[in-house]
Amino acid sequence: MRNLIAFFKRFQVFLMFALLQILALYIYFSFMSFPKTQVLTSTNVIVGNFFRYKNDFTKLLNLSRTNTKLQKENIKLRENSPFSLIKIDRNTIKIDDTLYHQQYEFIPAIVINSTFDKRNNFFTLNAGTLQGIKRGMGVFSDAGVVGVIHHASKHFSIVESVLTENINLDVMIEKSGAFGLLKWEGTHARFGKISGISNDIRVKKWSKVVTRGASGVFPYGIPVGKIYKIGSVEGKPLWDVTILFSEDYRKIQRVYVIKNILQEEQNQIESLIPEDKEEE
Amino acid sequence: MQLIKYLFQFIAYVLAQALVFNQLEIDYGIQFMIYPLYILLLPYDLNIFLSMLIAFIFGLSIDIISNTFGLHASSALLIAYLRPYFFKMFEIRDGYDPGMELSTKNMEFRWILSVHGLLLLIHHFWFFLIEIFKFNEMWFVFQKTILSMPISLGICLLIQSIFLRKSKQR
Repeated sequence: MRNLIAFFKRFQVFLMFALLQILALYIYFSFMSFPKTQVLTSTNVIVGNFFRYKNDFTKLLNLSRTNTKLQKENIKLRENSPFSLIKIDRNTIKIDDTLYHQQYEFIPAIVINSTFDKRNNFFTLNAGTLQGIKRGMGVFSDAGVVGVIHHASKHFSIVESVLTENINLDVMIEKSGAFGLLKWEGTHARFGKISGISNDIRVKKWSKVVTRGASGVFPYGIPVGKIYKIGSVEGKPLWDVTILFSEDYRKIQRVYVIKNILQEEQNQIESLIPEDKEEE
Repeated sequence: MQLIKYLFQFIAYVLAQALVFNQLEIDYGIQFMIYPLYILLLPYDLNIFLSMLIAFIFGLSIDIISNTFGLHASSALLIAYLRPYFFKMFEIRDGYDPGMELSTKNMEFRWILSVHGLLLLIHHFWFFLIEIFKFNEMWFVFQKTILSMPISLGICLLIQSIFLRKSKQR
């Protein structure tokens, strides 16, 4: 017993160092996968409000660019609206309200804090659970996909953006239909990778990459980027596909959060799939 | 008086690091980190338990603002732990005066360059190692460390020469 106390006395500095170090690393690695409290993230009231005030000033600097982007988006939507389309088949009457149910709702939000140069970049949004945001919802902007909600507090939320290591979004190449997982290498904010595309599929440079809409987080067809470079993975029958993101995450400002009304229904029916029994 | 000064510096360093230097983003994985300077400039005879605790809280408050969840806390803690050993290793001939601030104000330039340089190097290496946490990207860790460290050291020297000269004249 005396030896034990002597041991602790001798190494007390190191023990305290180890204890605090383990605590810090524990917080880091557990929060990377699932944040437990909002106190330790920028969604807490003090930091969130601070960034909101900061954004109130800085948003004016980008006003004209934001307006141009909104106008372009409006044009795109207007072109698809019934006013600008000619009806060719005049005999049938389409009844919208029973054929189409709404599946997705969109919540507008503003990015009030963001980084792009770190290994894992999280964006802070100025909308939270009061606006209906929950963990796991998808986020996109007018130009492309942005990320997934990582944690939400009452008034703020943080997005695990495309510029994080384990983002793994379901994406597909629009023309060929080949799909894979979106990855980010952590080096440049404009370029990402798609993994898991088999090399017997023909992949063309500059073909569009969109979200696949498999997990219900994103609807089908939100742009992600264009294929920039194709190489081969050594020792595996896979393409090494580099894509150029269509959104410039260094300047991102206005985003939409996707609320999938049918998400629970999809999860429920997917939970009926029997699990693999090989692991037992 | 001393306490208020360090409390004020605490807030100033946290805000400067989280709101200015973490937002400056240039390519090649370069990051500016000035906050280790606060820990290096704590009084050298401060109790190591206290200085480690200060460093932990200090790093964690930067983490909260910049969404890094404990990364800065871990690396700040590391230099607070290693600090006394380096001070002993590079001890000057007459020994340090009690309560002395080991900055460019009182110390030789060579001493500053070696102690601050080495501790910053360890700090940066640890930070990028934990951040990337992949052995097959070890070269990227080295690249980030070697590119970022001199810039951080330069800014640290600059801060000392700008803000500490005033008290010398007094």
